[in-house]
Amino acid sequence: MVERPLVSVVDDDESVRESLPDLLRELGYSARAFSSADEFLASDCVAETRCLILDITMPGMSGPDLQQELTVRGQGIPIVFITAQADETVRPRSLEQGAVECLFKPFSDTALFEALNAAFE
Amino acid sequence: MKADRQISERLIGLLPPRHRDPAATRVELDIAEISAMVGGLIRQGRPLPVVLTTLCQLFDATVKGYSSSVLLLDRTGARVRSVAGSGLPASYMKRLEGTAAAPGLKVHEVSPILSLTGEPLGIFAVYQREGNPDATRCHSALISQFIQVASAAIERMRSDEALKRSAALLERTQQLSSTCCFSWRVETDEISWSKELGQLFELDAAYVPMTLELIGARIHSEDLPSFREMIERARSGVSDFEFEHRLRLPDNSIKYLRVVAHGTRDQEGRLEYICAVQDVTHRRRTEEALVKLRSELARVAEIASLGVLTAAIAHEVNQPLAGIVTNASTCRRMLAVDPPDVEGARETARRTIRDAERASEVIKRLRALFCQKGATSESLDLNEAICEVVALSLSELERNKVIVRTELAGELPRVRGDRVQLQQVILNLFLNASDAMSGVDDRPRQLVIRTERDEKDRVRLSVRDTGVGFEPQGADRLFDAFYTTKSSGMGIGLSVSRSIIESHNGRLWATPNDGPGATFSFSIPYGPQDVTVGATGARSLGVIRTSGVTNAEKRRVGGL
Repeated sequence: MVERPLVSVVDDDESVRESLPDLLRELGYSARAFSSADEFLASDCVAETRCLILDITMPGMSGPDLQQELTVRGQGIPIVFITAQADETVRPRSLEQGAVECLFKPFSDTALFEALNAAFE
Repeated sequence: MKADRQISERLIGLLPPRHRDPAATRVELDIAEISAMVGGLIRQGRPLPVVLTTLCQLFDATVKGYSSSVLLLDRTGARVRSVAGSGLPASYMKRLEGTAAAPGLKVHEVSPILSLTGEPLGIFAVYQREGNPDATRCHSALISQFIQVASAAIERMRSDEALKRSAALLERTQQLSSTCCFSWRVETDEISWSKELGQLFELDAAYVPMTLELIGARIHSEDLPSFREMIERARSGVSDFEFEHRLRLPDNSIKYLRVVAHGTRDQEGRLEYICAVQDVTHRRRTEEALVKLRSELARVAEIASLGVLTAAIAHEVNQPLAGIVTNASTCRRMLAVDPPDVEGARETARRTIRDAERASEVIKRLRALFCQKGATSESLDLNEAICEVVALSLSELERNKVIVRTELAGELPRVRGDRVQLQQVILNLFLNASDAMSGVDDRPRQLVIRTERDEKDRVRLSVRDTGVGFEPQGADRLFDAFYTTKSSGMGIGLSVSRSIIESHNGRLWATPNDGPGATFSFSIPYGPQDVTVGATGARSLGVIRTSGVTNAEKRRVGGL
């Protein structure tokens, strides 16, 4: 069986952690979910993760904080930000800082699929 | 007048006892006549030195070969105020103080002039002229009679002076405080009133006898029932009362009056009220303007916080929507494959429904907020109210990298008040604290929310931040409307918050921390009292109610 690339989801929202990995598996990826940046960093999935779906607003270390931490560690994982904040200025700022895409919740499976394709280019 | 009676009684007592003292028969002027002449001068309003000089002249005319003088003392009795005398050289009069008698004059008798209560008013001095062959005998008894006339004259003049001064002072005070007086004899309904009161009622005091009916005719029809009720209560003999009512004047203008009445009873037990009436129209108008301004401010504050709230609501709704869309997408894909993953589809459909319910819960909370009508007073748990606000604002606070710590007291007594208004204040304090920390990078942005029992019957909430803080001397300005240290703020949040807390009989204040940052606190009383929550902040978009949310839901929504 072909190794499926690992997509990790980091979000403090439980329903996202529950639903998104299933959709990712349907789209042909393997998926893991983490409730915080710390939990992700402490896991053995960091090196293996091919793409990170990352919530921007989280208690403690935020999405952009984790992005910066990974850069410092030299682990350049493609990042797709997701956010429930309806703030239009977030997207250009995220893209400027190296994110592949920034999706506003709720996002469609097509939008997610396209973002992942961009990440795996 | 009482003073008149006293003086005439004293003057009658001064009648010379001719039948007892043969020397007195030589008196050319009757002492009673002298008293009458002096009294006449006083009534004409002649100045005291003139009156006393006349008295001295009368003395000199009565006793041949003698001259008299009066040294008038000031009120302290320590200094000579003026000298009145007759037949004494002017140069001597000027230098009288403590000097020896002038040539040709021999001091015969010097006596103090005392008031009825024994206070020194002046000095009566009698000098014998040397070498007068017609000199009569000068009896001490006669001198003391003159002294008594002098004493009566001085006292009468002084009391007149004091009366005039106090009348002038009263008039001036009435003008200054826009106060007028009237008295009301309850038994006869007789009313005596000052001319200022007539002006206030726009009635001519000189021609119209004031009656309760006349007062009633001027009173605003809406205030008439309470006015009548008050009159009835006053008739039944309450000692003091005060009330406020409006007047409607002939030109339809409105005046606000405040009446303070004090009841007294005369010797026969008849009740009389002395009333002070103050025109408080200007104050009422100012207050009305202030209330209007405050509610306008509150309205602006609502709009200002609307932006923040819209973002918070969007966040709350978007979370479950994301779950719904993702689950439904997964479900469709699971059913599209061959063979379809029915079990997986069933599970994702279940999650879709659950997330939809969660979204509907948010909407319900919103509806509860929008249905909030006016200000209400309910018994509420401050801790619970705080947790709800924390849940709502947590995403905003987290976005600002603020670490929230709650230290809520267990067993906190319930308070009475308007939940939404209080939550608006709490939210405002949170957002202010968050803003104050937005530029802080060298230390944790920590927000400590603490509740505790305050001095005996109050509960206190303090919100402590590690932000930029404020200068101690600026503590009072913080609560002024339009005072702001933020580039984007309007500076009305704290001003509105303070008026909300004050309408809950509470207090809102700020103190700089020992370390960095500031602490904002309010304390409100607990117990059974009802608060009169004003229009300020009413129907505010303060905070979404989350009363129907389970604990698990709260944890997920707010991370609590």
